[in-house]
Amino acid sequence: MAGLEIKSVTKVFGAVRTADSLSLVVEPGEIVAVFGPSGGGKTVLLRMIAGMFEPDEGDILVGGRSIVGALPERRGIGMAFQNFALFPHMTARDNIASGLRAKGRADAASRVQAISRLLKIEHVLGHMPRELSNGQKQRTALARALIGNPDVLLLDDPLRNVDAKLRYEMRLELPSLLRRGTAAVLYVTQDYREAMAIADRIAVLVGGRLEQIASPDEIYLSPASVAVARLFGDPSINLAETTPLVEHGTLFAAISGARMPLGMADTLPADRPYWLGVRPEDLGISFSAGEDAMPARVLAITPMHEKAVLLLRFEDGKEWLAALRPDALNVVADDAVFVRFAQEAVQLFDRETGLRVSLSHRRQAA
Amino acid sequence: MAMLELRGIDKVYRSHGRPPVHAVRSLDMEVEKGEIVALLGSSGCGKTSTLRMIAGFESVTSGSIAVRGRRIDALPPARRKVAMAFEGYSLYPPLTVRENIAFALKSRQVSRSEVSRRVEAIARLVEIEDILENYPRVISGGQQQRVSLARALVRDADLYLLDEPMGQLEPQLRAVLRGRIKSLLAEREMTAIFVTHDQTEASALADRIAVMEDGVLQQFASEKELKERPANLFVASFIGEPPMNLLETEVKRADGGFRLSVGPEVAFYISGDGLDQTAQRALAAAPRVRVGIRPQRIAVGEGAVRVRIVSNQWLGDQSHVAGECAGHLLIAVVPNRVAARPGDVVPFALGPRHLNIFGADGVCIRHAEVS
Amino acid sequence: MEHESLAGRIFRGVALTLILVFFMFPIAWILLMSFQTNEQILRIPPRLLFEPTLANYEALISGQLHTAAGNLEITFMRNLWNSLVLSSGAVALALLLGVPAAYAFARFKFRLGETIAFTLLSFRFAPPLLVLLPLSLYYQELGLNDTYFGIVWVYQLIALPLILWIVRGYFEDISPDIEHAYRLAGHSWREAFTRIAVPLAGPGIAAAGLLSFIFCWNNFVFALILASADKQPVTVGALAFVTASGIQYGQIAAAIVLSVTPTLLLALYAQRYLVEGLSLGAVKG
Repeated sequence: MAGLEIKSVTKVFGAVRTADSLSLVVEPGEIVAVFGPSGGGKTVLLRMIAGMFEPDEGDILVGGRSIVGALPERRGIGMAFQNFALFPHMTARDNIASGLRAKGRADAASRVQAISRLLKIEHVLGHMPRELSNGQKQRTALARALIGNPDVLLLDDPLRNVDAKLRYEMRLELPSLLRRGTAAVLYVTQDYREAMAIADRIAVLVGGRLEQIASPDEIYLSPASVAVARLFGDPSINLAETTPLVEHGTLFAAISGARMPLGMADTLPADRPYWLGVRPEDLGISFSAGEDAMPARVLAITPMHEKAVLLLRFEDGKEWLAALRPDALNVVADDAVFVRFAQEAVQLFDRETGLRVSLSHRRQAA
Repeated sequence: MAMLELRGIDKVYRSHGRPPVHAVRSLDMEVEKGEIVALLGSSGCGKTSTLRMIAGFESVTSGSIAVRGRRIDALPPARRKVAMAFEGYSLYPPLTVRENIAFALKSRQVSRSEVSRRVEAIARLVEIEDILENYPRVISGGQQQRVSLARALVRDADLYLLDEPMGQLEPQLRAVLRGRIKSLLAEREMTAIFVTHDQTEASALADRIAVMEDGVLQQFASEKELKERPANLFVASFIGEPPMNLLETEVKRADGGFRLSVGPEVAFYISGDGLDQTAQRALAAAPRVRVGIRPQRIAVGEGAVRVRIVSNQWLGDQSHVAGECAGHLLIAVVPNRVAARPGDVVPFALGPRHLNIFGADGVCIRHAEVS
Repeated sequence: MEHESLAGRIFRGVALTLILVFFMFPIAWILLMSFQTNEQILRIPPRLLFEPTLANYEALISGQLHTAAGNLEITFMRNLWNSLVLSSGAVALALLLGVPAAYAFARFKFRLGETIAFTLLSFRFAPPLLVLLPLSLYYQELGLNDTYFGIVWVYQLIALPLILWIVRGYFEDISPDIEHAYRLAGHSWREAFTRIAVPLAGPGIAAAGLLSFIFCWNNFVFALILASADKQPVTVGALAFVTASGIQYGQIAAAIVLSVTPTLLLALYAQRYLVEGLSLGAVKG
């Protein structure tokens, strides 16, 4: 029986379809990240599940039973909020225990102890929220959401308001914490790395529509659309508009002064415009010219995430980014270089629909 | 002569009925012409106070600020020849984006055609050509931040001061804009000082980074230097994504060198040859030291340290593998994917030459060898 | 900037003293008057040194006023009691009605919501006399004339809009997520209202209650028309000091001191909570 089932849920505010026929299943014990740009409808989706809004159409089921129309307190849902939403006039202990007392549980004290030991906040249980650091507030809010062993756990960008170091630590800790119970976890985030690190699957929500629901690997390696490809990766994927040519049964793309082989001609219709995408880490930089190399000038080098990110400008004025291992090559700003990429690294998307087009890389028999 | 020279800067905020706050303590800093410098630290570390003192919005409690050898700390902001981009953008609401940017050039002796040429060039650089005729209230936060940046960069000034210049930028645009702005600053030999709490941004843009904490300058060096050769434990535990792994070890003399043991099973041997006199003496005197190793210097799948995996996260272009070893959490970052599941025992290689050693006072006794 | 010259400090001290004297003078003068006899007060030029007397207070508390024209009964203590009953009653009723209404206006967007809220506020704009004439006729018919309840009811015109608008602002400042979190923890909306919203808006409710108490206490015209001597508050009762043998300045001053004291004490007592409440508001997170 599925933990959480969202069936073609639609929600319209004014003229905007904030949720457009969303369908998603989260199994018990599974973590699904809802990822997308702000304004994409992530928070509205979470709030419909929590019962703060009702969907206009569609159904939401928890453990096979519809919860649409049910009061929020009857839905069996735990939630952690981006702004923590702690009760400012209660101690951390009372905050965490608030759910248990409502259900009249006798073992409240021992359960609060257990969950706060797990989250390392035992020493601040007697404090009021205003006396807690941001990190402790966030852990208290998590403890409050987790303690009732809810069927569905909703986390609304819980690491947004904590500093980078703490965010990193929580990123390591959270997956095992969240998988302890059998809750179906829906984790909203605006940080693709957080989504990849924490989730079993990622649901990419753009403009009220689910663009892709898949494992982190699949989303990164074969994004369903150009929109998804642009959202994953920092720096984000390089794109060029191209209409491939066919020569001797092989597809070529003419971009920025080079002829790049793409794959076999029979795999996709030529003479149509496509988006060609190559991730910055898949670009190779050298000083040797060639037909398959795009001549470029290095505008600037901006180190990032242990890589040297090169801003390259091609002869046609287009700009791409390359992310190299810092020890890979000795390049300085203003150098003239040649840029190559392997055809396996190419992702093609239809220019009109933005959808991914698969390529076959089998080499032609020589 | 340095472009900007800060000498013995102190800043104390006194407010009635509260203990005084010592925001900046005897800060010395020199910035050369054409250099890009980041002031990096967590909130309350004194970085913004420093920037505001240079701009002239705060007075210095003691010390001097000089630009091109000329004292400016007593001058009003308008006469300091500095351009500033504010964290809150501070765009003029009744002016269009174009007028906002051109405003800074109006009072100067610049012809109208020259103004519009320069406004358009900078607008193209930060990708706001399409919204030049809009008013600030109708554009997004990211766009407002780009306008604010453009307004500061379009001016001719001795110094460009930027307060959290790129925090709100759209993630897909950030990397490209960083590159373009860095290239613009380099091309025009502009001297820029920017405040940030985000070390990714500091490393991307800055030639040198000033790490501040508690009002004290901890280290002022290039990104690479900060990462490979941190001056003290604070820098070691602050810089890096994630920062250095730090392990408590017991020091014993052995075979003319030192044996640093984390636990009964994990120990490192540091030969005496690689240590200078001071380091030898410091190690001989210390019963316990902390060793630090960068996550990127740990090899996974080889080596003598056996680690029980706690988490293994692949982020598309790198894997972060965390494991437990003698009561410590060790994090390794490797460029490829690693086949390990939580609970598995996997060998990690921690080469002695990659170790930084910190004494009891937190100061680095020995740096890792830089390959 | 934080260093101030000596001249600047002196100037600031002098300026502050002048302002303080300007504002405190009437109050101090009244306090002094309340300890003087009518003859002492009317002496020209007035003197700062005099022999203090408690006669004014005695007269007010005993209810016996001795004047040149003979003895006069005054009901000042009764009036004070009436003020207390009327103002507390009015505030209590206004809180009971106004706090839930303020919550509704803050949390729910409903049709005509803003219009209704503004209409309630606009009651404050109407000249009270205009309302009073028809109202007194209705009151006579309904038998509400000269009843505590009748006056408390009409005081709602003063207290209710104030409470509604102030408390609504406080409710709006509480992040709705805090209440959502409480409901998801298994509590009904009623519990979320009483255990989360009301305690968090507590300082605002106290401030609004206090303000409306003061406004009710100071009201004159409603009680003048609608209440007989038996139900009159101090504001109306003070008219009794204008007697046939002249105006009793000493008693008026003592009456003012006695009638201001309760509200002043209340305000001083509540101030502590107001400040505490404001700093609580800063940690909404």
